[in-house]
Amino acid sequence: MSAANVSFYERVEDALQDRRLHVALDRATGRFGSLRANALASLPNADAVRDRARFIRAHTLGRLDHYLLQFAQAVEANGGHVHWAVDAAAANDIVCALAKRSGVKTAVKGKSMVTEEIHLNRALEASGVTVIESDLGEYIIQLAGEKPSHINAPAIHKTKEQIGQLLHEKIGMALTNAPEQMTAAVREKLREVFLTADMGLSGVNFGVAETGTLALVENEGNGRLTTTLPRLHVALMGLERLVPTLDDLGVMLQLLARSATGQKMAVYTNLITGPRRPGEADGPEELHVVLVDNGRSQLLASDVAEILFCIRCGACLNTCPVYREIGGHAYGSVYAGPVGAVLTPALEGIGPWRDLPHASTLCGACREVCPVRIDLPRLLLALRDEGHRAGHSPAWLKIGLSLYSLAATRPALFRLALTAGRWLTRLLALEGWLTRLPPPLNGWTASRDWPAFAQQSLSKQRRSKHP
Amino acid sequence: MTSNHQVVLSRIRQALASARLPAVPTSLPSWDTQPAGDNDWLMETFTRAVTAVHGQVYRPANDQAAIDLILEGVRQLNNAEILAWADSELPIPELGLALRAAGLRVLDAALPADPVARQAKLWELGRAAVGVTGALAGLADTGTLALVNGPGRSRLASLLPPVHVALLRTTTLFPALAAFFAAHPAITQLGSNLVFVTGPSSTADIELTPVWGVHGPKQLRVVLV
Repeated sequence: MSAANVSFYERVEDALQDRRLHVALDRATGRFGSLRANALASLPNADAVRDRARFIRAHTLGRLDHYLLQFAQAVEANGGHVHWAVDAAAANDIVCALAKRSGVKTAVKGKSMVTEEIHLNRALEASGVTVIESDLGEYIIQLAGEKPSHINAPAIHKTKEQIGQLLHEKIGMALTNAPEQMTAAVREKLREVFLTADMGLSGVNFGVAETGTLALVENEGNGRLTTTLPRLHVALMGLERLVPTLDDLGVMLQLLARSATGQKMAVYTNLITGPRRPGEADGPEELHVVLVDNGRSQLLASDVAEILFCIRCGACLNTCPVYREIGGHAYGSVYAGPVGAVLTPALEGIGPWRDLPHASTLCGACREVCPVRIDLPRLLLALRDEGHRAGHSPAWLKIGLSLYSLAATRPALFRLALTAGRWLTRLLALEGWLTRLPPPLNGWTASRDWPAFAQQSLSKQRRSKHP
Repeated sequence: MTSNHQVVLSRIRQALASARLPAVPTSLPSWDTQPAGDNDWLMETFTRAVTAVHGQVYRPANDQAAIDLILEGVRQLNNAEILAWADSELPIPELGLALRAAGLRVLDAALPADPVARQAKLWELGRAAVGVTGALAGLADTGTLALVNGPGRSRLASLLPPVHVALLRTTTLFPALAAFFAAHPAITQLGSNLVFVTGPSSTADIELTPVWGVHGPKQLRVVLV
């Protein structure tokens, strides 16, 4: 993945101008937010469950080597195959080789962020395999040639009118604005794909180390079809996504759907333990699990390792005042929102992604809703610091800070600067506020006002009150 | 496992040697405070929860009434082909016999291993109008069914047809997921696929408008016996 040619701030400007995007974002994030709150309220002792979930994530990551080995051995004992991919290219090579070996022409895919992260579709298409997304939102996005803008509602940036037009043009559906008819048209179209696909591709929500079980959580049934109909199932999984036992999985499942969509439980929680067994009626003949590192092992040693606790529920996106204004595409990365602003630079380096940690007001709403209580503001600050140390801060910030430290360490100069500031701001202020500053300070007043300095400095006021 | 696994594992071990993960308390207060009640309470709670997720619950007086109810429902779908679990795998084994005796076509769900024959079979199964299964358990607080696949227990019966009829014994209701896992510690040995089903297939991907029957069943009918 690479930062687009357009800068982050230009994308943000575009997003802020997009009225339709705002309507869609308001509807979606607002609704998710209130549904989530209700769903957690329905969980007895929700805070204790979250503490337990956080404990499980920390414990698992602290012994990740042990649990990975245990998991891999269990998958193989169940008759599955495990592949280890150091990076995106290796993961793509593994899947392409599997496709080639089995003569795969068409692959059907369930919704998966890690396959977006490694750009699997592109790699498979390049080796002659047609990949079809099967989650309704992902299918719409694929038809439109776009990228998902939300972890669990990939097409929330599109209106039903846009989607109706798209389906009319691309799959010949009779023009309609009714989501029910659109869904029926896609069902029919994709049923054919499911019945003929040679390979099913999926992500994994949790891997259970003890049993080698893959847990996949979804609502539509496309995930189950993907992992049941084709004779070959390939599951890709970020290597941090383990839990030790089925009981631990039970804890995480109490939180995932509630935090993501406000459901107590998703429609389908699909637990896969190996391929079809002898005598079983159906299921894939072959199961392959690809464990994807792609920067995660390095991240584990960094200051922001806590981001690996993430279970990809998307709650931090829905609550983030910045995400709610600019949407997912403005971030320019596969992962958006607060989690994306940490995960993207953490996995791929701060250089191309130095602006993302600044896409936050540090209000802490993300930390409040995170089911595993990730301290996202702390992680964002750590990455800002890293960017600054790497020399990525803009010149004005560096000059500004050195001027400030020059003045702040010299009392006489500081008092002089204050006096000058007081005079200047009071001269330019209207009713105590400056609404427009000259360059280079006009960036500040573009979206907020600047208060005039008080008549007396704080220390002077204090001295006059307590002589 | 390929040799890459050594590379990845050594990277992780190296990272863990210097990793500073946030400290978490090592002992936690008891968290599993799921409510529990008697069987009536379980049935009421379960029924309410299934209804809340757009499913339907039927509570026939006895097994014969359940068979009659299902036959009646299937007859309303003209010439319906049925994708049902094997008689021996259903909580009411007589149901299969009754369906066939009524002249309904019950498909053999087992997929052949040969890729070409497998695909042909899938197309045949895709025509089924009703799937009939037996749940291993029900989870009251979420209105969830637990289904385990195996010989005579096809995964597709709860997935391909537009209507899914699931039989559930009231004696197999649990208050919640944790209690179910506690009672079935070796559940993953029973079959390669355990699926928790909570309502009919659904989506909200278009402007968050709920629509049922996206890729899986549009209707979920639970028959409590």
